[in-house]
Amino acid sequence: MLEWILRGLSQGRITTRYPDRPEAAPSGYRGQIELLDERAEGPGELAALCPTGAIAVDDAGRVSVDRGRCILCGACVQAAPERFAFEQRYETAARSRQALIVPPTPESQLEPLSQTLAEQARALGRSIHVRHIDCGSDGAEEWEIQALWNPYYDIQRLGFFLTAAPRHADVLLVTGPVTRALREPLERTWEVMPAPKALVAVGTDACSGGLVAEQGVDAVLPVDVYVPGSPPAPIAIMHALLLATGALAA
Amino acid sequence: LTEPNADRLDPAVAGLDVFTIPYGPVRSGIFEAIQFQIETGGEDIPRLQTRPFFKHRGMEQRFAGLRPERGVYVAERVAGIASVAYACAFSQAVERALDVAPPPRAERWRAVYAELERLACHLDVIAKQAETTALYVGQARFQILKEQIVRLRARLTGSRFARGVICPGGVRRDGALSLDELLGAIDAFERDLRRDRRLFTATASMTDRLVGSGRLPRSLIEQYSAVGPVARGSGVSTDARHERPYGDYQRLGLQVATRPEGDAMARVAVRFGELAESLRLLRQSIDQLRRQDGELCTPLPPPRSGSAFGWVEAPQGELLIWVELQRGMLRQVHIASPSLRNWALFDHAFPKDVLTDFAFIEHSFGLTAAGADR
Repeated sequence: MLEWILRGLSQGRITTRYPDRPEAAPSGYRGQIELLDERAEGPGELAALCPTGAIAVDDAGRVSVDRGRCILCGACVQAAPERFAFEQRYETAARSRQALIVPPTPESQLEPLSQTLAEQARALGRSIHVRHIDCGSDGAEEWEIQALWNPYYDIQRLGFFLTAAPRHADVLLVTGPVTRALREPLERTWEVMPAPKALVAVGTDACSGGLVAEQGVDAVLPVDVYVPGSPPAPIAIMHALLLATGALAA
Repeated sequence: LTEPNADRLDPAVAGLDVFTIPYGPVRSGIFEAIQFQIETGGEDIPRLQTRPFFKHRGMEQRFAGLRPERGVYVAERVAGIASVAYACAFSQAVERALDVAPPPRAERWRAVYAELERLACHLDVIAKQAETTALYVGQARFQILKEQIVRLRARLTGSRFARGVICPGGVRRDGALSLDELLGAIDAFERDLRRDRRLFTATASMTDRLVGSGRLPRSLIEQYSAVGPVARGSGVSTDARHERPYGDYQRLGLQVATRPEGDAMARVAVRFGELAESLRLLRQSIDQLRRQDGELCTPLPPPRSGSAFGWVEAPQGELLIWVELQRGMLRQVHIASPSLRNWALFDHAFPKDVLTDFAFIEHSFGLTAAGADR
């Protein structure tokens, strides 16, 4: 055992200091899609570039991207690099579905209604209990959530604890688009969680169905924070948890 | 609403104090949704039924009507932790159906991504073995190693799971790191791995739990045609990279790691053997990439029809994908995932083991529910 301890000490600190210090994504990292010129008009064919229908072109030729539907495949960046680019960033979460759409619409400026946990989180202090439920993910989101408790991210230092019992949970992380067989387990899990509580949709599949379904978790339950990504990186999920508990402003 | 639903249980074991634990689909910890119906008198497990398919998303139907260039995005999301394996098997099937040969440089990059994926998956299993035998310091060490590989993939491809780089016909682009940077990262990783592996195998509190647990006799492996590290841990030397070499593996040569014991420790030992072999293959592929310029992708021919199998050795075992194309569009895709084949065997993994052994025997299989449920 002594050897294990010495081995750990010799490594030094590897844990991120996020959110106190920003965590930079590596160059070339596909964090989210950026519209290079939000006012540029485009032909209707642009919409056909996207395998999940995240790109829309309205009658006036205005182009918009729904990051909640985007699976970061890069087909649009490859075909139209003058319009679309990848932004190297981890913080992709938003407090409403509308806020994931660029350019912003009048609705996306509105404050989301459900802020119960964020408002009351101060009462809970630095002790937020997190529960996860898989509703049909591809399995990669689970890896990224598990990673939050590894030495690189160590989310316990921010007061987030994993709980096995939904009855003890303050935040529910939901992955996957909610398959038929998992709808009831999801509803039962949410029902027994005590208020105030928050629900975070983790991954593009959970936000919108992405490539694998027509709708996301919000077709079943109200979602407090959406974190798109295929899958979202651990820092992105950490950011979403901090948004859900009001520790960070949107 | 919140009471357990007893009529969905179907117990077969009768006797005094026998009861059934419906474990899942919502489980403790961060796991995929799957249910185990455990019939027990309190300690031993006379009968276990694995109940998958809670996560059935109809992935095979999602391919229908897509062009192969788009179908690969669906393939990458069948089992997310093995995105590269699924993308390669799918692409190879399309290439065979359309009679297209990917350029050698693309095959080398595919082998690099596939071996990085094997490293990440095996390290994940080993970290979880340490966690479930309460060796938390070992868990932390192996999580660090796994995160190193995942971050290396992000620097190389822009995606932590190397998604969006493999396409039918080849790969979309070169790795974003120079070959020297890649090799340097692999050298540093291997030094760390060697130290942690020595400590891991020398920690008796951990190895004692694994030796003799979850024993699968060779006959059972053959009866179920089990695949991957589960089969190789019971002395069955089966590996698609060796038996039916594809892509770069036709040139690389492979030493298949096997162990005869058939217990959880043997499956860990096989994975350690494969980590070393993957590193050797990575070095070999990188060395070849150095000497070789050339195309990265062969364009697909004008729309035509055809059907073919593609296969790879995924980290969980052999994966088969069959595709049928009709005038250039995908008509049908079928997937035989290694996880589904090995879950069938899981029901028999508890001949002498008790409830407290459940977690680490489950992790010693290293399977995905998403791959099985599709």
